[in-house]
Amino acid sequence: MKAWVILGWVMMFSAGWAAEQDEAQGSVVRVRAAIQAYDQFRPWQKKAPYGLNGTGVVLPGGKVLVTAALVANHTEVGLEKPGSAEKCAAEVEAIDYEANLAVLRPEKVEFLKGFKGLALGPALKAGDTAEVWQLERNGELLRNQAEILTVGVGRYPNDEAGFLQYGVRVSLPKRDDSYTLPLIRQNQLVGMVMMYDRDSQEGTAIPGPMIERFLADAADGKYEGFPTLGVSWTPLRDPNLREEVKAPKSGGILVTRVNPRGTAGRAGLKEGDVILSVDGMKLDEDGNYRDSLYGPTAIGNLVRVRPKVGSQAKFWVSRDGKEMELAGTYDRRARDEVAIPTLAFDSQPRYLVVGGLVFQQLTGAYLQEWGDKWPERAPQRLVELFSFQQEKRPDPEKKVVFLSQVLPAALNLGYQHYSGLVLEKVNGKEIRDLRQLAEVLDERKDGDCIFEFLDDPGKLVLDAAEVRARQEEIRKAYGIPDLRKL
Amino acid sequence: MTFLAMVLCGCAKDGQLHEAKKNTVMVEVTSQVWDYRLPWNPGTVSSGRGAGFIVSGKKIITNAHVISGARNITVQREADPRRYAAKVQYVAHDCDLAMLEVEDPAFFKGTTHLDLGGIPELESVVSVYGFPIGGDRLSVTRGVVSRIDYNAYTHSGRESHLAIQIDAAINPGNSGGPVMQADKVVGVAFQGFRGDVAQNVGYMIPTPVIRRFLKDVEDGRYDHYVDIAIRWMPLENPAMRKHLGRPNDGHGVVVTDVFSEGSSDGFLQKGDVLLSIDGHPIESDGSVRLEGKPVQLEEIVERKFAREEVRLEVWRGGKTERINVPLKPADMFSMYEVLYEPPPRYVLYGGLVFQPLTANLMAVLAGSADLRLKQKYTMFATDQMYKETPEPVILSAVLPDPTNVYLRGLAGQVVSEINGRKIRTLADVEPALAANGERTVVRFEGDARPAVLKKDEVDRSAPRIMAQYGITEMSRTELGGRRLAKGSYPQGEKK
Repeated sequence: MKAWVILGWVMMFSAGWAAEQDEAQGSVVRVRAAIQAYDQFRPWQKKAPYGLNGTGVVLPGGKVLVTAALVANHTEVGLEKPGSAEKCAAEVEAIDYEANLAVLRPEKVEFLKGFKGLALGPALKAGDTAEVWQLERNGELLRNQAEILTVGVGRYPNDEAGFLQYGVRVSLPKRDDSYTLPLIRQNQLVGMVMMYDRDSQEGTAIPGPMIERFLADAADGKYEGFPTLGVSWTPLRDPNLREEVKAPKSGGILVTRVNPRGTAGRAGLKEGDVILSVDGMKLDEDGNYRDSLYGPTAIGNLVRVRPKVGSQAKFWVSRDGKEMELAGTYDRRARDEVAIPTLAFDSQPRYLVVGGLVFQQLTGAYLQEWGDKWPERAPQRLVELFSFQQEKRPDPEKKVVFLSQVLPAALNLGYQHYSGLVLEKVNGKEIRDLRQLAEVLDERKDGDCIFEFLDDPGKLVLDAAEVRARQEEIRKAYGIPDLRKL
Repeated sequence: MTFLAMVLCGCAKDGQLHEAKKNTVMVEVTSQVWDYRLPWNPGTVSSGRGAGFIVSGKKIITNAHVISGARNITVQREADPRRYAAKVQYVAHDCDLAMLEVEDPAFFKGTTHLDLGGIPELESVVSVYGFPIGGDRLSVTRGVVSRIDYNAYTHSGRESHLAIQIDAAINPGNSGGPVMQADKVVGVAFQGFRGDVAQNVGYMIPTPVIRRFLKDVEDGRYDHYVDIAIRWMPLENPAMRKHLGRPNDGHGVVVTDVFSEGSSDGFLQKGDVLLSIDGHPIESDGSVRLEGKPVQLEEIVERKFAREEVRLEVWRGGKTERINVPLKPADMFSMYEVLYEPPPRYVLYGGLVFQPLTANLMAVLAGSADLRLKQKYTMFATDQMYKETPEPVILSAVLPDPTNVYLRGLAGQVVSEINGRKIRTLADVEPALAANGERTVVRFEGDARPAVLKKDEVDRSAPRIMAQYGITEMSRTELGGRRLAKGSYPQGEKK
């Protein structure tokens, strides 16, 4: 994740020149976020706090736009006026971790009085120029000339599938409050810089159209997010492959996997289909449509950013040589209705401690706690279920409950080295989530509690009465405030 | 008396050095290592030096890793400047031992032989003889026996056997040399740690392992170690003991998994409590007493040979049963065994290189392998995937050629079918490729796209690819000593 952090916090003498005082001055604020994430390995506690400082954009409605990365897992967010150091607490009103955007609302409405909200400017093309704004310590604006190098769909910090992004070349000096920086053109907001590499002096920015789409969705107070297609696909450039799947002469991509809950799956798309066009936009062999502004652009922008959740989706597909239209509704269930969610920001991990056995419900965040090399370091069964969950855990209601560790106590002697074991059954009952596990265990007052796992050793047994008698002792010994968070 | 004893002791020491000098040999080897990236190539040549010692019957014992892949071996003694040609008679990669023979009887002139002793006591002193880096003459170092325990034998990559840790460093060139105490060989020096990991830690192969090797080859071939092929868990937990109906007497372990097609398949079940093995009571931590020393219960199995039995006392369904388990090698783990002698097997088709999944292949793919392949490898035995696919076939590389311009990104995928036929071993590949039709379709596990090739183009490409990449054979599929996870030994296997 280090690469995503924009700029270090460094005390420097300001550069020899100061930005002109102008109307733009009152359009940005410093945003100070106190971040404290839950410890996924000790889910009852939080990790050491740290601060992130960014520059937020004041919007016409008196709210402030920042990247989601700046405020994810925050305990507190504060706004500070550039010149006066006057402060005000703020609340996160809407946040989209995938699109990496968040809207903040100052607790005191009058705090931003006198500020001029920045309107959204038009979309940019490769070759356009813009400015990246930073704040000097004295509150002056530092306007850095930036050039848009590329416009294309690429990975976001918390979204593998990718959204449209600008590749930006800009030389940014080290300044405070640079975790989020606005991209401005003619005093209009055209993007938010979310990544910057000091060595190459290149960065990526969230484009204005993404921001526009996000703000429009958030405006009604009910944030729905960006839809997703729910398919895996492969380019169809190979003439042999085209022939094999009976694709027409040109264009189209091959669907290699369909999530039945996704937009495409509900519309009736199947593995092996060739998608020729979406919503009337033809796809080429690499999955690009011709965008009126950007030229050839990846399908991701067409199906994720342009349509809203609930709007109609139309697919023109070739199936076994026959062309047909399939229609459905854009949604994001392929993303949300899953057994193992990828993201888990701003929420406490679920857990249940019973007889020193710590059970957790698997999330991508837990796996990432194992570090950059988590696919190698985390328990392999958990990595497998997460990475291939469409094959291994297609039922979104059946969560992955697993024994994450054992807090040693006399009653769990002999079990203390076990970890990463996926729980299948307790006392013969299939376990579908942590809450249900708690119910099954609460029912059992005495006798054996038999835990059955997917992997070796297969079965562990505790005495229910003994568990009850020792719960408080274990809680105290390990200083756990609460033995369950369901 | 005391004085005499000391003198005798000194004599013994002098005698030991004398005997060791006579019977320790320098083994110089030129070997060739197969390149699994380019499986058709004969491999890279390198040379190295190790040690060995003469045992009764005019045979030389050394480490398997000293002579693995050997194309030329010479042996030389301290007292004779001549180098003699030697040949590998038997090699046991699983316990890192080998036996060499020297044709020229002149080599043995002036030699006697070294006898094997027992397991040395902890804290007793042993001497290590060999030819480690730093000079060309025989070197002697002394160390104390620090630990006697199961340890990984790194040469094979999958095996653990009894090993003795000593505090004398074992350096390259020590390998294969005798470790002696009171005129007797008590071990073969075989592995150590790099200096940046630990200092003064060396390991030797103890005599029970050496004796087992010598006994195994008596019939003219070396068989693999046998394995009981179960997983078990210590029975320490009182609730677990109660659940299984066992008193809290500190005895017994519970079987948690029985590997299908392994020795215990059909004999043992999950949930069985093992109470004794060959009459030795099993403690709840899985140890048994052997010659007064606690060892893992596997040690009883370790000392046996294929088709021999272990006698188990098993607690099942509330009563004690006696079950004899006939032993055989655990072929389901053979994928994890690093291969040395047999040439890598492959099938080349339109520039697509198909290879069976082996430890050797994983070693070259490790950096680039995707998650699916890595998981296939690590979970192959535990998930008993061998039942479905005894030998997963990997598209290990795509040699660029006009036939496969769109297929290059597929390297590293696990092959599931070719032309509609399931691929369970490499032997399935060529018949499936020969199926009728204009196109060949190779499908992979997961959601990767299929590889589609035109057969006439592939046929035309063969001579071009062979010339371009210097390939002499389009395939090599004979087993050459490798055991598949399922099925019997190939005929005439003898390493």
